[in-house]
Amino acid sequence: MLSKRQARAFFLGGTFVFSAAFVGLTIDTHRHVPKQTNAHLITPEVVAGKKIWEDNNCMGCHTLFGEGAYYAPELTKTVERRGKAWLRIFLKDPEKMYPGRRKMVNYHFTDEEIEHVIAFFEWAGQVDLNGFPADPPLRDALAATSGVEYPEPLPLPVPAILETAACTGCHRVAGQGGDAGALIGAPPLDGVHLRKTRDELIQWISDPQAIKPGTAMPDLVPSVISDAQVIEIVDYLYSPAN
Amino acid sequence: MKFKSQQFGYWFFASAMLLLVLQVLYGFIMGFAHMGYDNLHEWIPFNTARAVHTNLLVVWLLLGFMGSAYYIIPEEADREIYWPKLVMPQLISFLLVGVVAVGGYHVNWWEGRKFLEIPRPLDWLVVANVLLFLANVGMTIWNGKRFTTTSIVLYLGLLFAALLYLPGMIAFDNQTLDSFYRWWVVHLWVEGVWELIMGGMLCFLLIKLTGIDREVLEKWLYIIVGLTFLSGILGTGHHYYYIGTPSYWLWIGGVFSALEPVAFLGMAIYAIAVARKGERKHPNRIALQWTVGSAIVAFVGAGFLGLAHTLPQVNLWTHGTLVTAMHGHMAFWGAYAMINFAIIAYALPQMTGRKLWDQPSAMLAFWCSNIGMICMTGAFAVAGITQVNLERRMGLDFLRVQEELHVHFFGLILAACLFALGIGFFILNFIRHGTPNTEAIGMDVDGSISDEGEFATS
Repeated sequence: MLSKRQARAFFLGGTFVFSAAFVGLTIDTHRHVPKQTNAHLITPEVVAGKKIWEDNNCMGCHTLFGEGAYYAPELTKTVERRGKAWLRIFLKDPEKMYPGRRKMVNYHFTDEEIEHVIAFFEWAGQVDLNGFPADPPLRDALAATSGVEYPEPLPLPVPAILETAACTGCHRVAGQGGDAGALIGAPPLDGVHLRKTRDELIQWISDPQAIKPGTAMPDLVPSVISDAQVIEIVDYLYSPAN
Repeated sequence: MKFKSQQFGYWFFASAMLLLVLQVLYGFIMGFAHMGYDNLHEWIPFNTARAVHTNLLVVWLLLGFMGSAYYIIPEEADREIYWPKLVMPQLISFLLVGVVAVGGYHVNWWEGRKFLEIPRPLDWLVVANVLLFLANVGMTIWNGKRFTTTSIVLYLGLLFAALLYLPGMIAFDNQTLDSFYRWWVVHLWVEGVWELIMGGMLCFLLIKLTGIDREVLEKWLYIIVGLTFLSGILGTGHHYYYIGTPSYWLWIGGVFSALEPVAFLGMAIYAIAVARKGERKHPNRIALQWTVGSAIVAFVGAGFLGLAHTLPQVNLWTHGTLVTAMHGHMAFWGAYAMINFAIIAYALPQMTGRKLWDQPSAMLAFWCSNIGMICMTGAFAVAGITQVNLERRMGLDFLRVQEELHVHFFGLILAACLFALGIGFFILNFIRHGTPNTEAIGMDVDGSISDEGEFATS
């Protein structure tokens, strides 16, 4: 049977060998990381964004690279998923975007700070993470069972505002957007003229909280969408009815 | 208890209990927030509660380790603490840093790096404080009448824990490198050197409680901590799968972290075998129960549940979900909270001269807290697996999925109530012991095993 001396030699020897291996791998990792993480894209704006990320302990709720807390969404691909326009609106007043639901602290970021945070996320989204986060393998299977049909294009051209994240961040319209929003109850807008009257729709976009308190639809008028744009949107959506 | 300075341990343990209560309270705040009741959001947003919850855990466990060292080292070295006058200032300054840090988290003063949120200026105070502690304990061992493996392993664990804190203080502009070195601290602590501390404490307790020959126990201690490092050091790779580091970490981390349960299994078998074989039955059965329980729950929580999602093929889906919280809760409870409870259950009667180990509160503390924690782990597991399937596999929106999980957090809170009840019983039993008194010095409270070194197994 093993003696105490041999046991000690096993402990010390093993620790030494594996520590040495670990240090060696660390050195090699340092050689690869700049390329894998696009270190040349780490601009002063990205660094400033990282500092905001740390100073406010964003990791205390969110994850980035899958690391952090599990109270708020994973943000590695957030620029790709939401688009910058959506993030700019959201970061100005997070609760407005999700009224009555899980809260995020409003940090009252300046426009510059918001651009820094977005720059940081944009850099993070381009890092080669060995396949994380993976595309959901069952999403296509689910979509196949739901029988969604894509509508014919409407007669009028699509208004520019409708194609921004203000609308397509949640709703699907003209074959765009809506991946996340469909799951929080934001319906596709194609064919809305069959369900609502024109006036109802104008009132709804202008002040959703007044019609349905607590709805997930944020108050976007007039801060993001002007009254004229509301009419433009409604004209477009009702064009098949005319 | 042989030496007066061992009684310092009491104040560390008492402070640890206080912080544990706060930790549990903040845990409830988070549980309710996850269920949709975030009424404290204005004053204690989730990221504050989260930082307080995990940092208090680290601080109270470290206080427990320090208290254990002040209790164990004099007995092992066979002398009083080298600088007894420095012990209380060290405790008080450590607590002050902790209080300032936790207060800071409520006013957005932190570093925002998971588990290492303490702001940089306070980091330096922690380092200075721990150096003072290490110097004091080190001088005690150095000038002691005897060197024992138990004390050396315990000391090495504490020393490396201090050294490994330093890489976490290097600043990088690259999030990937930041994360890389953060794990040098967090992983190499909890799946490396803290296991040395745990092993040292376990060995000390088994020597005291079973009367089995020290030489045999210490030989196996070397094997177990050897296995820990063999798997745990390169096992750090399981944090390097998906953070922007080379893909060879996928198989290195996978292979070595899959071996990590072996050390925990070794520890569990060791504790069970020794407890069964022990000839001299120490009357403090509850201390032995916590000791053996710690080794077993550590194997289940840290070893088995860690293995469950450590392989890269699984971790791709579970990484950054509540599955991690499932593993984390039982791992920390079994490996580090329970070993602290074990040493407290053993040392309190020694320090105060009061034998309260047969009281119902002692037994209820063990069963309520453990059953509570097992149920909590179950609730996290169900919530985590549901999250993985709905969000990661089906692609549903994060917030929508979280709303589906409310019911599991209701279950979690129920289980946490049972757990908290157990903690309440433990603290009740703690308080009933009273404070250390001079009569207990030089008296061995069990009366049967006086010097463990003279006993041998047959």
